[in-house]
Amino acid sequence: MSRMFLAGAVALGLGAAPALAAEALPISISMAPAAANRASAQMGDRLSFRTVIRNDGTTPVGGVIGWVSLLRTDPGQEQPIDLEDWSAHKAITIPSLAPGESVATDWPFRLIASGTYRAVVSAATRDGAALATSPFADFTVRAKPLVESRRVLPVALGLPLLIGAGMLVTARRR
Amino acid sequence: MTAAGQIARKEAGELLLDLRGQAWLLAMACALSAFSLLLVGSAELSLLDNAQVVYDMAGIATALGALLALVVGVDGIGGERERGSLVPLLLTPASRGAILLGQIGGVAMAWAAMLALAVPFLWAVGSTGQNLWDGMAVLVLLGTPVVLGFGLFGLGLGARLGSTRAALLAGLIGLLVAASPLLIGPSLRQSALGGMFDAVNPFSAAVNGYDLVIIDSQGLLSQWMSLAHTLAWLALMLWFAHAAFRRVRR
Repeated sequence: MSRMFLAGAVALGLGAAPALAAEALPISISMAPAAANRASAQMGDRLSFRTVIRNDGTTPVGGVIGWVSLLRTDPGQEQPIDLEDWSAHKAITIPSLAPGESVATDWPFRLIASGTYRAVVSAATRDGAALATSPFADFTVRAKPLVESRRVLPVALGLPLLIGAGMLVTARRR
Repeated sequence: MTAAGQIARKEAGELLLDLRGQAWLLAMACALSAFSLLLVGSAELSLLDNAQVVYDMAGIATALGALLALVVGVDGIGGERERGSLVPLLLTPASRGAILLGQIGGVAMAWAAMLALAVPFLWAVGSTGQNLWDGMAVLVLLGTPVVLGFGLFGLGLGARLGSTRAALLAGLIGLLVAASPLLIGPSLRQSALGGMFDAVNPFSAAVNGYDLVIIDSQGLLSQWMSLAHTLAWLALMLWFAHAAFRRVRR
């Protein structure tokens, strides 16, 4: 049934998507890791990537919005990442970009979880119908034990015992 | 020593040297222990980022501090009334303002004791990560007005309501509602109603400040809005406690 519907749609010209393809945005985005990035990052480290958003067109572009996305690419774990705790710097707006003008932006990340990731910066404009994207920046985050039980156990067990001992002393004095 | 100082000293002595007060501190320490043991005992929770754990622990310490302050506050007037010691206190030459100030001193001592309990736990879970010291600083900066405000809320309820039980119940319900951001987290801000609640709740102001400083590594000085919010709550509760205590008859 669905095949028949699809065939009918194509016959009616509804499948002529290429004709409706949006005009490419005259914007290019380059992306490079910061020089200070560690070669082998682990959880808790910080990484930063620098993008340069450039107007390659011949007319000014207004209302440019750039935003960063992060994807996890481990086999079986592929998913977009909520940047809530990864970065406080998630987007920029550029009121106007003249022909040939470029804006450099640093996108810092705090590495919250281990895995293999892919960062990408996208840009759209107020009026344009297309999307510009940077090349992918791939990185791997090594796992790290975060809460050390060796430190927690003495405090978690010792402090109540200490207060309990203090109570015993108080009770005996009475 | 002034009358207010003497009352504060008596309240602090009851908390630190009296068996009943020590039992409260033991209960607080056990609660912090249970939380930190949960962190190392659960595979998933133990993978939380240090900053997240310090943030959670700061929120728990604030909630427990507010609970302790509320109980100390209700006991400061309501408890004195039930023990028959409020009228003799009111008959002393000490002014009502001095008595209230002394009771606030007792609440402040309870919060200081709670902070002293929380510091080793914060160190234990957060010393291998980031923003531990900033986390402790923001806990003192934003937690203090919130906790003292709940102590004053308890003092006001104890003075206003005839029964200590009713005052405690009303105070606990208020605290439970206010501390809901600890359970619901940032998702609270995503609805209009949650956003409005967040905007007026001093507890939200404190935990949002903890989030920004401990997790997002923002500076302490940038938290002036949260500080203003919590100070407004403190001023409101000071007015409430003062007005309620003025109405107490000898």
